[in-house]
Amino acid sequence: MKVSLNTIRNLNKHYGCAEDVSAIGVDKLIKKIETQLAAIEEVIDIGSKYQGIVVVKVMACDKHPDADKLHVCTIDDGGVVKDVERDDNGYVQVVCGAPNVREGLFVAWLPPGTTVPATVGKEPFVLTDREIRGQKSNGMLASAKELGLGDDHDGILEIGGDQKPGSDFAEITGLKDDLVLDMENKMFTHRPDCFGFLGISRELAGIQNMPFKSPGWYVPNPDFPDIEAEELKLEVKNELPDLAPRFSAITMRGVRVGPSPLWLQVEFAELGQKLVNNIVDYTNFYMIETGQPLHAYDYDKVKALSEGEGATIVIRNPKPGEKIKLLNGKEVEPRAEAIMIATDKRAIGIGGVMGGADTEVDENTQNIILECANFDMYSIRRTSMEHGLFTDAVSRFTKGQSPLQNLAILRKIVNEIHEYADGKVASQVVDNNHVNQAVTARASVHPPVEVNASFINSRLGLKLSADEMGKLLTNVECQVGINGDELIVTAPFWRTDIELREDVVEEIGRLYGYDKLPLKLPRRDLQPATKDPQLTVKSEVRSRLAKAGANEILSYSFVPGSLLESVGQDRGKAYEISNALSPDLQYYRLSLMPSLLEKVHPNIKAGFKEFALFEIGKTHGTDNGDDEHGLPREFEFTALVVAADDKLKKSGAAYYQARVYLEALVGHDDLAFKPVSEDMQAYQVTKPYDLNRSAAVSLKGGEFLGIIGEFRPSARRALKLPKHSAGFEVDTLALGRIMSNGSDYVPLMRFPSVKQDMTIQVPAKMPYDELQAFVDKAYTANAPQDSLVNLELVDIYQKDDTASSKNVTFRLTTTGTNRTLTDSEVNKVLDAIALAAKSELGGERI
Amino acid sequence: MIDQKLADDLKQRAKQGDASVLRSTELKSLFDEIKAMPAEQRSAFGQEINKLREELSELLKANQDAAEALPPIDITAPFDVNTLPDKRPILLPTETGSQHPLMTELDTVLDIFYRMGFTAVESREIDDDFHMFGSLNFPEDHPARDDYDTFMTTQTDKKGKPFIAPAHTSTMQHRVLTKYKDDLEAGKSIAAVIPGRVFRNEDLDPRHEHTFYQLEGIYVDKGVNVGHLIATLKAFLQEYYGKQLEVKTQPFYFPFTEPSFEFALSCPFCDKKGCSICSQTGWIELLGCGMIHPNVLHEAGIDTNVYTGFAWGGGIDRLVMMKHGVEDVRYFESGRLDFLRQFA
Repeated sequence: MKVSLNTIRNLNKHYGCAEDVSAIGVDKLIKKIETQLAAIEEVIDIGSKYQGIVVVKVMACDKHPDADKLHVCTIDDGGVVKDVERDDNGYVQVVCGAPNVREGLFVAWLPPGTTVPATVGKEPFVLTDREIRGQKSNGMLASAKELGLGDDHDGILEIGGDQKPGSDFAEITGLKDDLVLDMENKMFTHRPDCFGFLGISRELAGIQNMPFKSPGWYVPNPDFPDIEAEELKLEVKNELPDLAPRFSAITMRGVRVGPSPLWLQVEFAELGQKLVNNIVDYTNFYMIETGQPLHAYDYDKVKALSEGEGATIVIRNPKPGEKIKLLNGKEVEPRAEAIMIATDKRAIGIGGVMGGADTEVDENTQNIILECANFDMYSIRRTSMEHGLFTDAVSRFTKGQSPLQNLAILRKIVNEIHEYADGKVASQVVDNNHVNQAVTARASVHPPVEVNASFINSRLGLKLSADEMGKLLTNVECQVGINGDELIVTAPFWRTDIELREDVVEEIGRLYGYDKLPLKLPRRDLQPATKDPQLTVKSEVRSRLAKAGANEILSYSFVPGSLLESVGQDRGKAYEISNALSPDLQYYRLSLMPSLLEKVHPNIKAGFKEFALFEIGKTHGTDNGDDEHGLPREFEFTALVVAADDKLKKSGAAYYQARVYLEALVGHDDLAFKPVSEDMQAYQVTKPYDLNRSAAVSLKGGEFLGIIGEFRPSARRALKLPKHSAGFEVDTLALGRIMSNGSDYVPLMRFPSVKQDMTIQVPAKMPYDELQAFVDKAYTANAPQDSLVNLELVDIYQKDDTASSKNVTFRLTTTGTNRTLTDSEVNKVLDAIALAAKSELGGERI
Repeated sequence: MIDQKLADDLKQRAKQGDASVLRSTELKSLFDEIKAMPAEQRSAFGQEINKLREELSELLKANQDAAEALPPIDITAPFDVNTLPDKRPILLPTETGSQHPLMTELDTVLDIFYRMGFTAVESREIDDDFHMFGSLNFPEDHPARDDYDTFMTTQTDKKGKPFIAPAHTSTMQHRVLTKYKDDLEAGKSIAAVIPGRVFRNEDLDPRHEHTFYQLEGIYVDKGVNVGHLIATLKAFLQEYYGKQLEVKTQPFYFPFTEPSFEFALSCPFCDKKGCSICSQTGWIELLGCGMIHPNVLHEAGIDTNVYTGFAWGGGIDRLVMMKHGVEDVRYFESGRLDFLRQFA
């Protein structure tokens, strides 16, 4: 919402609303606005652009001797400009190319040394005195466009009225020293009144504890003038009283359509509002002044489209397939629930959104219909969103304007058009009003709010009296009844946001000033705050993996379908995003691994030879079922990928490298690695893996954790993975439960240990864990009395891939708990193990 | 009908890994046959050819997969056969490891709030309209919804509404209020922070991400007022930045708080002198906050005559960007090691 400070000052003065709200100084006022009203996005110093521009009278205007389209003019500046060449009369010569330049005109002169306002902030053009085709030109006479006051550059700006040559152009246009404040609209989402100057002015007074009184015409039930001219009949039929609770209209005859007066042109230029013609511009101006959109129709065009002898307006839904050409030139087929403004024959506008092209007011218009309506904010928003129509009316109607102000504003625009565009009232006001009668009767949108001063003080931490509060509220025209500690607050008819006690709290706090509230921390007892176990586990996993040299990444929760497919996942099992702007965000990811795999190749390409990436995140899938709230269940996973550039020629399968990382989280003694069962293969999390070289991981004899392994060839190809790449994806919460299991501490040994290596030859196909478990069991069973044993793998040797056997070497560390063991004691143990291995496994000690 | 022998021949070639089969004259000739066919047969025949083509692609892929397949390994062993002791898998050096800077920061922030007496609850990544909007006093079609460009799913909840990727951590407010309501009645306060990933459906640039992290906070008790809110946030920020700060509020609008504010602190990097981080203003706008709207408390079954509370929400990404001078928010989710390893 843009407001000009000069406009606010003038409004207060003109209507007698309040004292000068900027008396405290602009800087202080801005600071107050920011703490008590809304953020200011930009302060536009518009006044500085107009320094040195002078109103002059064209005294003579002769054709340029050497150019067809140019005139040589002498102008009277009242002698105010210094250091400029003058003739005997004290006049100044300027060459002008405008077709409308003529003797006797008052125009804006940019003397040498001034900057063309339209170029300020772009490429500033500073005027000089120079010769144009042999004729001296001192500066220039300016068009509206050059002055930055609109698009018109067909001729110079004609300043009407009887002006005094030499007046300051900025002074007479109200631009002098003006600042335009661009306030953030978001703050006003619940304040439709602040989409108008009137509302902003009132707030500027209110936050300074200054009383404000609305203009005399701003009342819910004004008197309308009698019909002044031959009647222009108007009938309104409202088929949608819920969506269009109030529709007020009136006709006027004999309007003079033309350009808007200079003050209005200047006003719109400051706000960046487009000029159309005086009738349309007036309706827009009063919208900007009050926040209430207005619309003007060409009466005769509406009548021509109506059945009867007068004009008929019908408010209805669109008919099937009905299209309408709008003022912006576009044709749309409005959604079925849209609010259409129509005649009894066809649609002529989308109510509250945009008028139709066929009934617009143009230069030939003589008679008009003025509409001041109230529409359902939600319906307007839907229609606006669906058709991408964002207009000034939409941004106001979607905040829910009060239906109690319609007549006041309609009355005001009738008055202005009567006075300044010669319009004569040609009908009674038609007020199709479906607003709740109680609301109309009390002239306040919500019932009065009863609230105690102590309630308000307790929410703000203040100690204001009921009277002090009452003053703050009456400043902004609430009616306040005070009864001891109790306030009974009736909001003025334009306020839609004061409904609850808390709304009064907000109002008091803001008008008083939140910056003045005493700050105090809440008191608490000594009860320790509970840490969230889930976040704590994640922290622990993160810290362990980072310590293990891995790098944590975060990647998007949404992935493209092509990524799912490249790793063999089924997009049909994924929650699909229906409205993403980016084509890469199609599905909620089914597991974390594909996102990690995507990051491998770019990092290798960037020169990182070997790394481990991990992510802790949530996954979603339609197979996961619902949680206890009936919402899609979220799984918590930790995934890690190891990768090494092919140039490193790593030996051994990458699978084992990934395993080292998993064991950095959970000790290997606790884990069981089993082939991925057929049941498990149905889970999407297992899809990226090469099942020949992958394992299902679980806690020994217990909880299932996830999957670890290398990746299937198609995934390796699609994601350009190096040969040495593998990873795991495990349930984070299960990890947490394991990680918090007891300690692995082993008491220190008091006697020396005996370490002996032993190699057993077994069939190549025998899984290592089978042999290990066997040896471990035999070792424990045959251990000397009062000893502790420890079994370690030293080596696995296999002659070549086709060999039928492999040699597995273990290191056995035996320690007496109460004596030093002898070699022979330990040798007996080894012999016993060898014997058992031979008889039970067919293994040969080597 | 496609000639069976022709189809079998093509499949045989595909099985053997002959990639040229997809561009073969035989396959092309089948497409040519379509033109010569009666109109009513064309579509069926065309579908048949496409099916064959897909089959051939699959066979080729299977052949390639088989060619690239690696032999099985002993998944139960701790290392591969014949790997020398110095080539066995070991962890990378600790110096190369790193935690994500956003997560490190989150831990720092959480630690302060734990010390201040707040518990923590993690936010969801998929939610419903009720939690994202309805329970937070956003009526259907309310214009305040425009400020949240939410991602939605094609799948719908039990009420037939799409699921939503939450655009703010406030999506957890109702759950947290409901969960701890009994504590209130037992004379304790509700004090919780809610970190989580949030999503906005917008285009990316150095300052905008569609995925980022927020931290929400909620405090409810008897007699909680606006002064408590501002004091609490100030106390947190002073602890976080390790120095005395000034704070200020600007009135704002959120449907779920009343009154609502935007909260700013004096720039801790230049002590209000003006620097590039605060755009020379001396102030940094950091979060949105306000007193929890009575409708939100009501919805959770909390008596608004007895209890009041405040809530706030702010971005974690911004804190990290300011702290380290990170110039592009997109790096956070880039997975780039040259970025990540700087936070080792």
